[in-house]
Amino acid sequence: MRRLRGWFEDFGRLIFFAGETLAWTVRPPFRPELVLAQMAAIGVGSIFIVATTGFFSGMVLGLQGNYAMRQFGAEGYVGGSVAISLARELAPVLTALMVIGRSGSAIATELGTMRVTEQIDAMETMAVNPVQYLAVPRFLASLAMFPFLTMLFDAIGYAGAYLMGIFVAGIPAGPFIEHTRSFVNPADVVHGLVKAIAFGGVVALITTYRGYHAVGGATGVGEGTTRAVVMSSISILVVDYALTLVTVGAGR
Amino acid sequence: MIEIRDLHKSFGDHHVLEGIDITVDKGTTFVVLGGSGSGKTVLMKHVIGLLLPDSGTVVVNEIDIPSLRGRELTEARAMFGMVFQGAALFDSMTIFENVAFPLRERERSMKAAEVRRRVIEKLKVVDLDEDVLGRFPSELSGGMRKRVALARAVVHDPKVVLYDEPTTGLDPITTAYVDEMIMQAKVKLGVTSMVISHDIASAFKVADKIAVLYDGHIAAQGTPEEVRRSEHPYVQRYLSMWFEKQ
Repeated sequence: MRRLRGWFEDFGRLIFFAGETLAWTVRPPFRPELVLAQMAAIGVGSIFIVATTGFFSGMVLGLQGNYAMRQFGAEGYVGGSVAISLARELAPVLTALMVIGRSGSAIATELGTMRVTEQIDAMETMAVNPVQYLAVPRFLASLAMFPFLTMLFDAIGYAGAYLMGIFVAGIPAGPFIEHTRSFVNPADVVHGLVKAIAFGGVVALITTYRGYHAVGGATGVGEGTTRAVVMSSISILVVDYALTLVTVGAGR
Repeated sequence: MIEIRDLHKSFGDHHVLEGIDITVDKGTTFVVLGGSGSGKTVLMKHVIGLLLPDSGTVVVNEIDIPSLRGRELTEARAMFGMVFQGAALFDSMTIFENVAFPLRERERSMKAAEVRRRVIEKLKVVDLDEDVLGRFPSELSGGMRKRVALARAVVHDPKVVLYDEPTTGLDPITTAYVDEMIMQAKVKLGVTSMVISHDIASAFKVADKIAVLYDGHIAAQGTPEEVRRSEHPYVQRYLSMWFEKQ
């Protein structure tokens, strides 16, 4: 009972923190240079890990798709099925999970360290709102960079599937590409990108919140980071389910 | 300059401050002495408006701090500079960016050359020269970081400087240096200072007036000599430990 109460209190504080972040997003002073720096740290810095994950996931999907579909002579559909699963689901979700591991943990640790070494208090005494200075740039940068990284995942994942499908499995290039065209609509890509934006917002808010409210030295910072990674990873899956349920529904 | 009247503060069932009265005169250094958990930090956080009292008043430079909200509080904080226990320098920024931070944020229209001039001027006050400007806090010694922290606290010419345990964890030579720095800030910059500390030697060196905080109350208050002659049992025990060593 007590744990449940603690959980609700924590969740309430998170919602309050999110509201504060949103409110400060639209109030001056604006700090575009901090947003750009965070876009570089969260987005550009994650290109390698997202590209690598995308490439290998695409290659695996190409091979597995070929294995499954060849059994009833439908290997020409591999390109289309890989592209649609990447665009609608795998790219946004896997990108988010990789960026949580790389940048989300870094955000929670950096802010947590700033909290326990009184840097956040110092900022407040210098008449700078720490939520605006620290949380808002990370929030905006995540909103911008998650869809960018997801598109990158889409493109490289498809390239990986193409390489495996055409050169390893020997699927003819014509049907591979043709069925991709007929399967995938721009709306599928947009569906994935909308999810990516939502994931970006959720991840930024949870990881900054966890760092911002870290307590008690190095152990507290570590604990905050662990909770940030666990909570944001699970939230991504829940939000993904909710968005899919709302937009696709039962599909009947 | 700072007037605290009948200040009460509790966290849950725990009464941290129970009726504190303190007056700090303009241009003087006031030291709040007390053991760990005596409520010193809580007291200081009320002065700068980081905490709100349950009852009582905190008036700084004729401004009632607890009544301020939002923008008013932000503006009132320009009166203060605060030196944190661990220096609390931003470790993602260079020394120059650290010291320039309050200027750049408070006076956004100030020209870059003017910011630089004032940063160098304040670093001189704490005996640091220009070659530290491009370094990061992690590249400086503990004593140097404390000095940078003071330069950052006074760069916007505050009226009041607050020190949170400035000598805790420093070696005797650095401690003497920090004491000197606090006295210099008073003389060279004319600021009113409030120091919270458990370092009796430093307190008697830098203070114009001292208050000893014990169990949420002021056990003794006055000039160092008056506090030394206090008959309060806790104050006698607290001070005797140090004076016996002398």
